[in-house]
Amino acid sequence: MNDHVMGWDAGAMDVRRVVHPYRVDPESVGNGTPVEKAPDPQLGTELIPAARYFSPDYMKLEWERVWTKVWLLGGRSDDMPEPGDYICTDIGKESVLLVRQADGSIRAFPNVCLHRGNRLRPEGRGNAEKFQCMYHHWTYGLDGKLDHIPDLCTFLQGGPTDMALTALPCTEWNSFVWFSLDQDVEPFEDFIDPLKRHLEPYHPERMAWMRDITVEWDCNWKTSVDAFNETYHVQGIHPQLKWYLDDVNVQIDCYGKHSRYLIPFAAISPRVAMPSQIPPAIHEIMVHAGMDPAEYEGRVSDIRRDVQLFKREHGASQGKDYSELNDEQLTDDYHYTIFPNVSVNVHADDVMLFRQRPHASDPNKMLYDIWMFGLVPEGEEWPERVRHQHFRHGDKTIGQVLDQDAFNLPTVQTGMKSDYFPGLWIGDQELRIRHFHKVMDDYIYGPGEKGPGDL
Amino acid sequence: MDLGLAGKKAILVGAARGIGYSVAEVLAREGCDIALTARSEDSVKDAVASLSKYGTKIVGKPVNAKQPEAYKEWIDWAIGELDGVDILVPFTSAGGGMGSEKYWYNAFETDVMGVVRAVEGVIEKMTEQQRGSIVLLGSTSIGEAMGGPQPYNAMKASLVTWGKQLALWHGKNGIRVNVVSPGPIEFEGGNWDMIKGTMEKFYASQLRQQPSGRLGRPEEVAKAIAFLASDAASWCNGSHLVVDGGFTNRTHF
Repeated sequence: MNDHVMGWDAGAMDVRRVVHPYRVDPESVGNGTPVEKAPDPQLGTELIPAARYFSPDYMKLEWERVWTKVWLLGGRSDDMPEPGDYICTDIGKESVLLVRQADGSIRAFPNVCLHRGNRLRPEGRGNAEKFQCMYHHWTYGLDGKLDHIPDLCTFLQGGPTDMALTALPCTEWNSFVWFSLDQDVEPFEDFIDPLKRHLEPYHPERMAWMRDITVEWDCNWKTSVDAFNETYHVQGIHPQLKWYLDDVNVQIDCYGKHSRYLIPFAAISPRVAMPSQIPPAIHEIMVHAGMDPAEYEGRVSDIRRDVQLFKREHGASQGKDYSELNDEQLTDDYHYTIFPNVSVNVHADDVMLFRQRPHASDPNKMLYDIWMFGLVPEGEEWPERVRHQHFRHGDKTIGQVLDQDAFNLPTVQTGMKSDYFPGLWIGDQELRIRHFHKVMDDYIYGPGEKGPGDL
Repeated sequence: MDLGLAGKKAILVGAARGIGYSVAEVLAREGCDIALTARSEDSVKDAVASLSKYGTKIVGKPVNAKQPEAYKEWIDWAIGELDGVDILVPFTSAGGGMGSEKYWYNAFETDVMGVVRAVEGVIEKMTEQQRGSIVLLGSTSIGEAMGGPQPYNAMKASLVTWGKQLALWHGKNGIRVNVVSPGPIEFEGGNWDMIKGTMEKFYASQLRQQPSGRLGRPEEVAKAIAFLASDAASWCNGSHLVVDGGFTNRTHF
């Protein structure tokens, strides 16, 4: 009985019950986020070599052929509304200035003075009329032009070529700012395809910052990307989520460079018996939707659908416009991986995004950015921008679920270096991990060019 | 010891799972005919099907105890199907909940009136028979505070008081009424199963409070209920038996 959406035998999995969650008809979504299952790529069953996660050579290849070739997420458009507003963001050994221009457009420049290489600004946000290097006061305009070199007459060679910082490709999409370190990068439209149609209906521009956190993690950036690319680990690391979501009936879709999975939320995992009382986390979902769980007469197994119907009926009166979302999207987690390093959970009322950045030199370290945005109901005041926090893993909690992930990752990173661990033994619930590595292969070795001896 | 349960007729309300189902199983095994109900049709069907293996008469139909007329009809139907009623154990409960006034009404309707309506539905027949045993379900959370100020504990407490009054009032007609208060009981799909999965620390703290280091099992309460329901407990009337593995600290003088 291959009755699982992925073609597996749902009854043969480690479950207590076979469940068929409500799914919207793919024909019904119109121009909205597609829901139909994408054909699965044939990616084989080979090991994914463990050395990819700690080899300095592989890290170098990643830098040369991935990080410096792709489009990268830089920040939020609403953090730079006025001319002179800028975001300074680091990626590996590079740092980039994203700057709002007088005409409303944005430009991106390497955050480095052409004189002696000093960083122009520390990482973060701000507003500037000009960018003046602290070292010798070389001064650049918002457009990156080198407006003033003190004592220019003492430089016999004159000023640097073009008297300007290198202009890097950048663009804004769906309330986010993107840039590339590659001046010849493919058009953003081609890079992001087909996700525009998927993600625009969520209107993240109607959402405000709720969390802005950077944590230093002791693992490779891919160790983290992998962790968010599968739901197989819910039964291992997040046992409490079995009373919150259906980790078994997950649809996986791989597209070109990117991928997604769709997880039913406000649901009980088929791995446990159906409770008669409403679990606390689902209780919270109901309250957040505006329902009173005490009034609820249905069964726990009906809640997901009833929350969808309730939000559909009452969303508009709560100032929440769900008109471009399908019913599933009103409860479920649509989780996208935007290659290479963005994992984003999109929901009707919030977006929880993780940006995973490599360390400048150590493959065993990374920066884990948590960006959360909440829908601001129409007519309500836009909340104050939350402050950015930056700390080392373990110094502060990042919430129960993410703590469970975070505390596991360093032991994965260490374990993978064992001589007795040749590589990752990936199952089909982890298809997105395999797909992600295939995209890595294509960037690093050229499409289909990875040889048998290649890492 | 012969409990004298063979051939007895038992009505069990809310008996498709947990302690209720376990009582049904113990009674069926002892030779009782049973009429049972729960809210969900599927779970009633499943319970009836799996209890039938003990060879006694088992009947069931779903009913919502919050709908008085349908509920009364169900009890009449059950008495008719069994041709009498010797034992009544109503398990109806809306469970816990805090923060909305509605929980008071839910607990009143389900935990209190779900029980009251069942008792009133059988008392006439038991009086006519001059024979009957009723066991009501309390909770250790009525004698020792637990889970915050919620209607569940307070409403459950009222059953102990009311149970005593019933026992004194109907004793002359050969009807006994006793109360059993279970401590935390764990079974698959039950609250403590979910608490174990979702609130690990709280669950562990409850284990530490149990002298035996574990929570109770449904059949450990079911056997106590079966005893009080049986003729073997003929001199127990108006009693309140705490079945909690030593979970509570209170000394009963």
